[in-house]
Amino acid sequence: MRRSAAAILLLLVALAAGYLGLRVAHGLSFRTDLLALLPEMPGDAALQRAHDTVTHALGQRIMILVGHPDRDRARAAAVRLTAALLDQGLIAGVDSVPDGDRLRRIGALYYPYRGGLLADADRQSLLHGQGAGLAARALSQVFGLVGMADARLLHGDPFLLMPAFLSKLPVPLSRLTPDDGLLTVRDDGMTWVLVSARLNGEPFALDVQKRFIGGFQRAMADLGADVRVLKLGAVFFADAGARQAMAETSQLGTAATVGSVLLVLVVFRRLAPLWQSLMSIATGILCGLSFSLWWFGALHVVSLLFGMSLIGIAVDYSLYYFTDLFICDGAAPPRRLRRVMPGLALGVLTTLVGYGALLLAPFPGLHQIAVFSAVGLSAAFASVVLWVPFLDRGQDLPHGRPLVATATAVWGFWERPDVRPLRLILAAALVLAGIVGGLRLTVDDDVRRLQSPDAGLLADQHRIQALTGISWSGQFFLVQAADDETALEREEALAGRLAGLAGSGVLAGFQAPAGFIPSAARQRESRRLIHDGLLEPLLAAHVARLGLSVPPQPPPTGDDAPVLTLSAALADGALPVLENLVLKGGPGGVTHAVRLDGIGDVQVVRAAAAGLEGVRFIDPTADFSRLFGAYRDRAVGLLAVSAILMVPLLAVRYRWRGALAVMAPPVAALLLTPALAALVGEPFTFFSAMALILVLSIGVDYAIFCAEARGPRKSVTLLAVCLASLTTLLSFGLLAFSQVFAVHTFGLTMLIGISLSVLLAPIGGLAWRAR
Amino acid sequence: MLRLISSSLEIAPSRPPSDGGRPHPRAGLRAGMILVVLMVAVVTAQAHLVRADAVGTGPTGAITGSSTLRGKFVQERRLQGFQAPLRSEGRFMLAPGRGLIWQTLTPFAVTTVITAAGLVQDSDGAETMRLPAARLPFLAKLYDMLGGALAGDWQALGREFTVVRSGDAAAWQVDLQPRTPPDAASMPIRAIRIAGGRFVEQVDLMKEGGDSDSLRFTGQTLSTAPPDAAEIAQLAGVGR
Repeated sequence: MRRSAAAILLLLVALAAGYLGLRVAHGLSFRTDLLALLPEMPGDAALQRAHDTVTHALGQRIMILVGHPDRDRARAAAVRLTAALLDQGLIAGVDSVPDGDRLRRIGALYYPYRGGLLADADRQSLLHGQGAGLAARALSQVFGLVGMADARLLHGDPFLLMPAFLSKLPVPLSRLTPDDGLLTVRDDGMTWVLVSARLNGEPFALDVQKRFIGGFQRAMADLGADVRVLKLGAVFFADAGARQAMAETSQLGTAATVGSVLLVLVVFRRLAPLWQSLMSIATGILCGLSFSLWWFGALHVVSLLFGMSLIGIAVDYSLYYFTDLFICDGAAPPRRLRRVMPGLALGVLTTLVGYGALLLAPFPGLHQIAVFSAVGLSAAFASVVLWVPFLDRGQDLPHGRPLVATATAVWGFWERPDVRPLRLILAAALVLAGIVGGLRLTVDDDVRRLQSPDAGLLADQHRIQALTGISWSGQFFLVQAADDETALEREEALAGRLAGLAGSGVLAGFQAPAGFIPSAARQRESRRLIHDGLLEPLLAAHVARLGLSVPPQPPPTGDDAPVLTLSAALADGALPVLENLVLKGGPGGVTHAVRLDGIGDVQVVRAAAAGLEGVRFIDPTADFSRLFGAYRDRAVGLLAVSAILMVPLLAVRYRWRGALAVMAPPVAALLLTPALAALVGEPFTFFSAMALILVLSIGVDYAIFCAEARGPRKSVTLLAVCLASLTTLLSFGLLAFSQVFAVHTFGLTMLIGISLSVLLAPIGGLAWRAR
Repeated sequence: MLRLISSSLEIAPSRPPSDGGRPHPRAGLRAGMILVVLMVAVVTAQAHLVRADAVGTGPTGAITGSSTLRGKFVQERRLQGFQAPLRSEGRFMLAPGRGLIWQTLTPFAVTTVITAAGLVQDSDGAETMRLPAARLPFLAKLYDMLGGALAGDWQALGREFTVVRSGDAAAWQVDLQPRTPPDAASMPIRAIRIAGGRFVEQVDLMKEGGDSDSLRFTGQTLSTAPPDAAEIAQLAGVGR
């Protein structure tokens, strides 16, 4: 019976290993984009798609500023860097200053429709009846020191309205100027040349990162030491983040592993407990990973990391089993297993309840974590129960007496009547700290802070923003309408509001499709303005002053004259910028994006869309932060649910009062941990909430172990609990030293929560007496 | 006299399509930049007292202090499609280190002020153009190039133009030709000729397509008096 169960487990593990091997052979990769964690938004597929399109395009953008005091050297370095990156196939779609041919095409696109094209300022002038000023401007350009003077242009556009319209097209990169084919800005004696392109691949794919950064650094080395380079792009941040994670993993990971291994070796003075513990964890991860890959098709890297952490507590079970050797009564492995089985089984069941509660949330990421860790933990538990007794050679460990005595001293604190005042002082101190900390508790979901981006890259980003005036916020307006004309009219209404903000520090600029192609209604209105305000009253005198020999041929301004349409402009291809602004619409509608530059006050910009139908402000960073906030709230709620679900399970063995006694230490740890963290100024984040799930599961295990500590087990249980908590603190508590804020909050929560759980765990021992 | 489209954006066409021909966007800008700088540089040259040096071509030397150069100009712009040249006249005031005020008086009043901060053009008190210097990096380069030439260093200029100098200190002439072939988009200039004696007296610009500008300077006087208050206010207005 026991043998066949062990064999079946072996078969299952072999199956899991085979499936995992198959997946790895087919190139296993994990999703790394945070978008994959988003809950589905049913009914708003078009919005989601538009959101994804713009965010994705933004993620691939790369901006590099190459600077040198000497203009020619800066230019040469920029050209060389671009060529090197292109040659290696690392970038694509390099943005370039429109060349002569492109400009001719732009001119040709607009020229036939010039009768309906007015720069905003000119439109305002005509609306206020100031046509004479426009005529004077045209004359000043003909007779002044600088300006336009071209007979053919004057002939077709006597008031030079089209050059004014073209010069006010909403091109981005407001502080950059085209200089002989390259976008350039001069600042403080330096000439900076822009290299702007699209990453050839996904910025969060590790292989793309590695190839790009490698190629970029080689190209940089070729530029010479005196060339300054500022860089901006998701790929740089992602690479820096990966590097930091690697560095920390190797430092903290080594410390944790070496510490845990030494601890187990020193305590047991045997190899068996060590490798058999590792075996059970490995079994758990293998089965969990294999099953969830099969179940979900693909896993997110965040789920993988959390799932592995959650399975890690399986080590506590083997430690709990092996400390039985310190009893030294010569019991055979099956008998020892029977002794620890109630505690083990209850521990696993409550933990499965805790992890399973994550399934109740509508978040794909939490589902993956729940399934991965529940399957993994079950497999790890099965391997401890089914395999370890066979492998265990079962010799008593007499050297452990002083260790056991030390650990048992903790019981004394909770049981000896003479230290009761101390217990009361501790309880009062904890309650006081909990209240004070609870009042100071703050939450932080800011995705930018949680990721702790590289300081050097952040400095580059700020410098690039200052030099170019380009913001990297990724915020934009989304305009949805039934057709292009309606969308363009909505953008014009929006532009009317945004125009008032531009230049006041709230917003540097914006690009809407309507800024390039006015709506048909606006074009017709402009024609009337031009006709009534310029051609009718002023043309004859204007032509006389110019001295044109042939009569001018101003464009047709009748209402029936053709207008320039967005679809015609897109088909023409002279304005590639439109392709980024006009998104593939969903069924029965069109979707346009309005890009924003240099946002100084998000709230004011967001408010500009208020009351405009079909116009929405999209803020991906804020969306992610909101997502983290939602996950955090959800995790806290599920924590409460799973704690409540554990009670009836415990009541089966300990009755209700006993169950409450067992739950008291972990629940106290749950409540006190965020408060104590707040006392030292740490905010509560999604990652704290995730750590609390672990704290609950582990804390309940400790309390159960203590509740089960009777007879010979009583002396060794606290040793098992202390040992388990030390390994947990080594593997998770050390994360509190991480430079990555998210990891740091996770680690700190574990550090405080596990320490409290151990300290309070003996309260669970009262359960049996309560019965 | 000079052509520069009314913005730094290089997509303003200066020529519409004529009978099926494609328009030539941007034709004015690069030429405009070059010519603005030439104007400043050339007029600056007049502030440098010309002394007979070994070569004897081109103005050399420099004046110091708060001198100003004033004079009159006649500009004749010959354009395709106009029967007669567009002729305008006016006066200018150049204060080295401060800037240039260029006042067209007939047939239409336009004032252009150029300083290190950029360029402002207005007519009848209404601003018709404003270009900050930050938006004109090419301008800075040309300014350096021509500044070098005026200081006797013709190498920088020689990289962009072939330079032929002739005459003597009393009547010299400099012919400039772009090294790159004429192109409507990037260098719509075929040749530049500058002639003078003590001061620069004539500048001719031959443009691609047969258009040309010619400038004649008369009545130039150099004084040690600084610009008057009104002029200083005008110069300061550019940096506003």
